[in-house]
Amino acid sequence: MTKRPTKLLPVWIAVSAVILIAGIVLFALMGFNTSPEARNNKTVEVSYGVAVEITTGAEEKLQETCEAAFEANGLKPIHENLVVEIDSNSGSVTGDKKLVYTFSDSATGAALEAARAQIDAAKSEFPVTADIFVSVHGGEGSLFGESIWRGAIALAVGAIVVLVYIGVRFGIGAALTGLTVCVHDSLVALAFLAIARIPVYAFAPLLYAGVAAVVSLLLWLVQCIKMRENFKEPSFKSLSAEEAVAESGKTALAWILGVGGAIALAIAVCGGLATAGVRLFLLPALVPVAVAFYSSLLLGPALHVHVKAAFDKRKLKSKRYIGKAKAQETKD
Amino acid sequence: MGKIKSAICITLFTLLIAALCFVCAVSFSYGTDGVHTFNSILRLTAKDADLGAKYGSDGYLGGGYTVVYYPEGVISAKEYEENSASYTDESELQKYKDRYVAYADGAIYLDKDEVCGGGNEPAESYLADFDATYELLFDRYANLKKDGVRLEKRDKLTVSVFLPKELMQNELYAFTVHSYTGAVTVRYGTSTDSSAAETVLPARADKTIGDYVKKFSSRTAADGTAYVVIDFTDLGREVIAAKTADATSGTLFFMAGENSLIPLSVSSQIDQESLYISGTYTKESAEICATALNTALKGDGQDYLSLTLGDSHRSEALYGANALYGLFIAFGVCFLAMMIFFFVRYGALGFAHLYTYLIMTFIMILCVWSIPFLYLSTETLLAYLIVSVVFSACNALVFERARKEFALGKTMTSSVKTAYRQNFWHIFDLHIILAALSFIVYGIALTNLSAFAFVLGLGTVFSGLCVLGLNRFMWAIMMAFTRNKGRFCNFKREVVDDD
Repeated sequence: MTKRPTKLLPVWIAVSAVILIAGIVLFALMGFNTSPEARNNKTVEVSYGVAVEITTGAEEKLQETCEAAFEANGLKPIHENLVVEIDSNSGSVTGDKKLVYTFSDSATGAALEAARAQIDAAKSEFPVTADIFVSVHGGEGSLFGESIWRGAIALAVGAIVVLVYIGVRFGIGAALTGLTVCVHDSLVALAFLAIARIPVYAFAPLLYAGVAAVVSLLLWLVQCIKMRENFKEPSFKSLSAEEAVAESGKTALAWILGVGGAIALAIAVCGGLATAGVRLFLLPALVPVAVAFYSSLLLGPALHVHVKAAFDKRKLKSKRYIGKAKAQETKD
Repeated sequence: MGKIKSAICITLFTLLIAALCFVCAVSFSYGTDGVHTFNSILRLTAKDADLGAKYGSDGYLGGGYTVVYYPEGVISAKEYEENSASYTDESELQKYKDRYVAYADGAIYLDKDEVCGGGNEPAESYLADFDATYELLFDRYANLKKDGVRLEKRDKLTVSVFLPKELMQNELYAFTVHSYTGAVTVRYGTSTDSSAAETVLPARADKTIGDYVKKFSSRTAADGTAYVVIDFTDLGREVIAAKTADATSGTLFFMAGENSLIPLSVSSQIDQESLYISGTYTKESAEICATALNTALKGDGQDYLSLTLGDSHRSEALYGANALYGLFIAFGVCFLAMMIFFFVRYGALGFAHLYTYLIMTFIMILCVWSIPFLYLSTETLLAYLIVSVVFSACNALVFERARKEFALGKTMTSSVKTAYRQNFWHIFDLHIILAALSFIVYGIALTNLSAFAFVLGLGTVFSGLCVLGLNRFMWAIMMAFTRNKGRFCNFKREVVDDD
């Protein structure tokens, strides 16, 4: 006979613990895979004058020359951008432009230098006044820490305030489980990103933690609404905490699947149809949604069984106490 | 509601949606040869550095600016080549070439005397000064707290900075002012030339500027006037008061190195603990100016390298030219999927959802366009995606409850009433929780998380109002025309078995 998911709390805790520990270790050793951000990067920059722009087909030819040079040297740019030169005082355009090809830090200096030389050698195919200049650069980006720690505090404060509200509306037990699930989801989502080495932008992990917190609260709230509704029914009064949570979970399942599935589907569709840069941002956002799914369907209810049982026991004790007191009163 | 009133309401709402759709989403050229352009609100909405779109004939919203700071003694390879080519005398050329040494695989050239102490590698002291200068720039740019700001060490001895174009109004001012790395001094003179003015602070060699000035900050008054605020110590106040005692037409210069950041006209004695200086400052430019002076004040005594603004470029959307249009298409597909679900499951009731959703969407677009600190980005679009799902889920929740009530044999009016009554607190809880979380995060977090949270919060508020108010109203007016209300909503009565 298969066990109900609500009975498998140790399994869910073990799964989460393994992901969290592995995630923390990998994050400490390697951090997130922020390769799309290319904070440490190498660039090949090809600047050219207005003569290239006004010569028919010269801009495209220069671009093709660059791409051929990179291909010949086994290089694949992770990002390419055409920028226009401006006067730094007035902001007015000078007429010169620059093709900027960004490579990952692992691109070898020799290959980049060979590509540079190849592009440089092709200068003679362009107008004399083209003013083409090719250079190779290395960059080492910095991350502004304040936005990260303030974001983490914001999420923590927000989650606590919201769970106080849940505590008032749905009971302290629901708030405690919700808080655990919310924190769990944010951390597990980050841990999973670190373990799977999913490429993300440097700013994105905190945002994914935020998405995890929001979706987690949303789905847990659906559970809470259903539990409050169901636990009022007489048929639930006779059930044990484990049976009651499991039965209530069944009625909430469709809504959780509907809401979570719709969010996941919308993100997947947008990520699938968007351009590469946007896709790199949107598709990893499926991780927090998946984690919120997992915890609202498996971990959350299993944990809430124990929380509910403890609170029910306390309630019962308090009832007994009142009974004795009343009995004493009557006796007196 | 009567049929006539309902017809009027539906017509008005249809016209409103059509007008909003036209204003928000339609752009076109007109006039002879299409010289004039009508820009939609979506086109005119600010975009972050990652997204961008053209507007008007040659305007562009999105992208950003990049500059490279070259410290003293460092020039770019391009500049080196151009300078070398300008020499006609061979010996002069050789002299020039001997003066410089290639560095970082030839990406930059270093002045041997100034940077390398005569050798071929940068001196330790120079590297330490460069690190301190980089830290100074880091502090200044971090203080901008803008989404998309990037700072990187380039070729080990230059600094490249990227600022988003639409999220700031004073990018070029920031680039220039943040390159001023010298010590803070205050000068006083009777002409407008700061180099001819007398240094009044620090007044004595044994004192530092920190003994006279506590800090620089910025303030914005309720009427929108921005100020740079200078807080003097008692000693600083005394010195300034003494120097300006007989002032009639002087100028007080607040300098960073040899660059005047604030020239303050003085026509009478200044004897104040705090000076509020307005002028042409915006909130942002006052902050930039105060940050530049404050960071220089804190770093007093530290050796910073002087910086030159080098290559300056403007780039378009970092995610590519079509990123925004790709996102709009993706949103369109999601919208279509949502509408197919509602029309298939709830029949003509899907129109009520459609009207409410469109109105909510256009209101959101207008809000993002008109609220100064909001902009279009992948984060804000993700937030709206979540809001759309919450809105659709809540509508579906109400529709499903009404379906159940109707199936039990109640009238449609009673079913709708019961559905809203029974789900009111569920929907309220859902929205209040999301809105509270969002606005708290917005209040504390910075940059893109803050923008994400605000759009999520705002969207949640509108979603709540639309689900509980507008959608019910739409339902009522749309259902007024049909006799068979169950069929209109695709609701069926439960078949009762006579046995």
